[in-house]
Amino acid sequence: MTSRILVVDDDTALAEMIGIVLRTEGFEALFCADGAQAVDEWRASRPDLVLLDLMLPGMDGIEICTRIRAESGVPVIMLTARSDTADVVRGLEVGADDYIVKPFNPKELVARIRTRLRPAPQAETEVLRVGDLTIDVDAHEVRRGTAPIALTPLEFQLLVALASKPQQVFSREMLLEQVWGYHYKADTRLVNVHVQRLRAKVELDPDNPRIVMTVRGVGYRAGSVS
Amino acid sequence: MAANPPTRAVTALWGGPSAWSDTISASWRSSMRFRATAITLMATSLAIFVICVVIALVIRSDLFESRKDEALHNARAAVSAAQKQLDSGQTGDDRATIAAVWGEAQRVLGRTASSSRIVGFISETQGDGYTPTGFRSLEYSSNQMTISDELHTRVTQVRNRQAWQSIPLPQSDGSEAAGIVVGQLLEFRGVGTYEVYIAYDLIDADETLLFVQRTLWFAGITLVALIAAISWLVLRSVSAPIIEAAETSERLAAGDLEVRLPVHGEDELASLGRSFNAMADSIQSQIKELAELSLVQQRFVSDVSHELRTPLTTIRLAAEMINDTREDFDPVTARTAELLHTQVQRFETLLADLLEISRYDAGSVQLEVEATSLAQLAEEMVDQLRPLAAAHDTELRLVAPGGYSPVDMDPRRVRRVLRNLIGNAIEHGEGEPIIVTVDSDQRAVAVGVRDFGLGMRPEDAEHVFDRFWRADPSRKRTIGGTGLGLSIALGDAKLHRGTLEVWSELGIGTNFVLTIPRSPDVEVGRGPVPLEPEESVVDLVDVTEPITLRGVRDLIDDVGHADREEAEPESADADAEHAKPGPDDTREQSS
Repeated sequence: MTSRILVVDDDTALAEMIGIVLRTEGFEALFCADGAQAVDEWRASRPDLVLLDLMLPGMDGIEICTRIRAESGVPVIMLTARSDTADVVRGLEVGADDYIVKPFNPKELVARIRTRLRPAPQAETEVLRVGDLTIDVDAHEVRRGTAPIALTPLEFQLLVALASKPQQVFSREMLLEQVWGYHYKADTRLVNVHVQRLRAKVELDPDNPRIVMTVRGVGYRAGSVS
Repeated sequence: MAANPPTRAVTALWGGPSAWSDTISASWRSSMRFRATAITLMATSLAIFVICVVIALVIRSDLFESRKDEALHNARAAVSAAQKQLDSGQTGDDRATIAAVWGEAQRVLGRTASSSRIVGFISETQGDGYTPTGFRSLEYSSNQMTISDELHTRVTQVRNRQAWQSIPLPQSDGSEAAGIVVGQLLEFRGVGTYEVYIAYDLIDADETLLFVQRTLWFAGITLVALIAAISWLVLRSVSAPIIEAAETSERLAAGDLEVRLPVHGEDELASLGRSFNAMADSIQSQIKELAELSLVQQRFVSDVSHELRTPLTTIRLAAEMINDTREDFDPVTARTAELLHTQVQRFETLLADLLEISRYDAGSVQLEVEATSLAQLAEEMVDQLRPLAAAHDTELRLVAPGGYSPVDMDPRRVRRVLRNLIGNAIEHGEGEPIIVTVDSDQRAVAVGVRDFGLGMRPEDAEHVFDRFWRADPSRKRTIGGTGLGLSIALGDAKLHRGTLEVWSELGIGTNFVLTIPRSPDVEVGRGPVPLEPEESVVDLVDVTEPITLRGVRDLIDDVGHADREEAEPESADADAEHAKPGPDDTREQSS
């Protein structure tokens, strides 16, 4: 089954070129050039992944990402001309999974898309426990007691990565490689922002985390089972 | 005005006279007000001193004159009263009568002379009867009054004329007081002529004089002090605005463009204030204009860079797509695709560097600091660049006697600087080995990249950090830097509050040293890795012998061992491929 990717970019030449690259790699590309119509387009087509330009006419990428996240955990990759601005952090904070800085090469784009579309890694056990949470890996479900907690695929992957090796401390670089598929030094803000988002959803008190613990100077580890 | 009066004053107080004179001479040099007050003080002191002395002298002579006149008057009255007595009482020349008359005359004399110091001598005898020899008053004793011959002569010469002379008068307490003695002849008709001397002391006059002098000096000193205080205060009204102007200029020079001088009235100081403020206004508006212009330019560069990115992304994607399928094309088109692909990449690098430079210009760069071991980072970079070095037949060697302990830095930027420096060294190193040295001291860590290639003239070396500058425009580019790499590297070094310095000599090679302080507020000073080689390579190698790779390597080992007593983990015959020290070994040795 081919994955369907919604490309939201007002530059039609770039959108078309991305479309060519995606089709060459066996994806199906859908386009939207107007920010104001992007959310409707997304609702109508229900793609497997969204490539979202940050600067759009009508409605900016941050707002679109916020609205999509309100309804779905679909992978969102931002396209941005600036990596150093607050826009990137804001995009990550409203739930974008990853970002690519223009100009990018096709291999990089495809690698980022494939990482986000690949199925979650198989854990050795089907059910993981961390803190007072139960993670059903196969069912892609996290529960506190009987109440399910809705996580995006990325957040789920992050939690599973930590929970599957509860004794291990993960550095940000390790998580970048395991969850985001970066094999070189990348932006550790990705990890920081998504750990915060994950904590906001799974922790009873995000200021005093029990599920995703910070190991000062090293990284993160899963909280002990309670 | 002395900028540091409190400490200066304290040291002066405790430092003795030399410190005092130092303080005074320092104040003299640095304080207009002090100088002007001191000059005023000295001039008025001199004037008042002279005036006081003159007044004192005049008063003294006046007092003396009046006292003298009084003494002469008294003496004359007394002598004439005694003369009258003698004239009237003369009745016979028998001894008893003469003695009685003489005694009466003496009493009159004592009563009217207003002095107890009276003495008489027989000067000339008349007749041949009884002649009293002389007399002296009760308090008189012979050693109390000395009559000089001169006075005696003057008294005896002219009858009925007074003569006087100043003499010291011994007092009962043994001291001497100033006095005058008045002499006159007293004629005892039929008996003889007597010289009568009456002495008057000037104690009263002296006391008056002393009092007047005291008053004069007190008034003089008070006047001097008053003038000093007044001139100090008056000068303050002049010097305070000058000091304020100086301070304001300093603040303006330090960059506070908002400061202005307060302007009061219409005088010279007000006009100084007005011109100063006009100057400040002009400077401020020009700087503002320049800043706005530069801001517009920076924004323009940044915007252009960003606007170029979207079409460049499309071009890059297209070029990659075409390049990936170039096997399907004929050779000419395939080569064209390849060229397109590489040049798009170069264009992209250039754009990225331009954008980075525009960020530095806009001051919008922030460090992402992380505790990083510079030695390990350098080792990673050397390993990463070894294939590139091998492609240029160049040997990369890492010497790291120190620099293992983590120091706060932005590893991404330091890595970029090192990549740039090593890349440059490979490009210009002429295949000679490249030595990367990492070391640290208490204040800083540093990494040096030394090549033994073409080198540059010192005047060229000054320009290596200039944007788009190339030492030799005809020199071919093999690695394809953008011409911005070293400018960015220098910007990175400055962001770390460190330094990036270059040493280069034509035909000998080039050395770049990046020094990063252990904490931002530490001055790096000389730095742990020396910039210039201790001894020129040419001096060490026999010049007739060509500098071979072997020779240089031996040489460097020699120099290295001579410099550092602690054993380096590499030996002279170490295999070039394993020339870098194992970090673990070195850490053990250095700890």
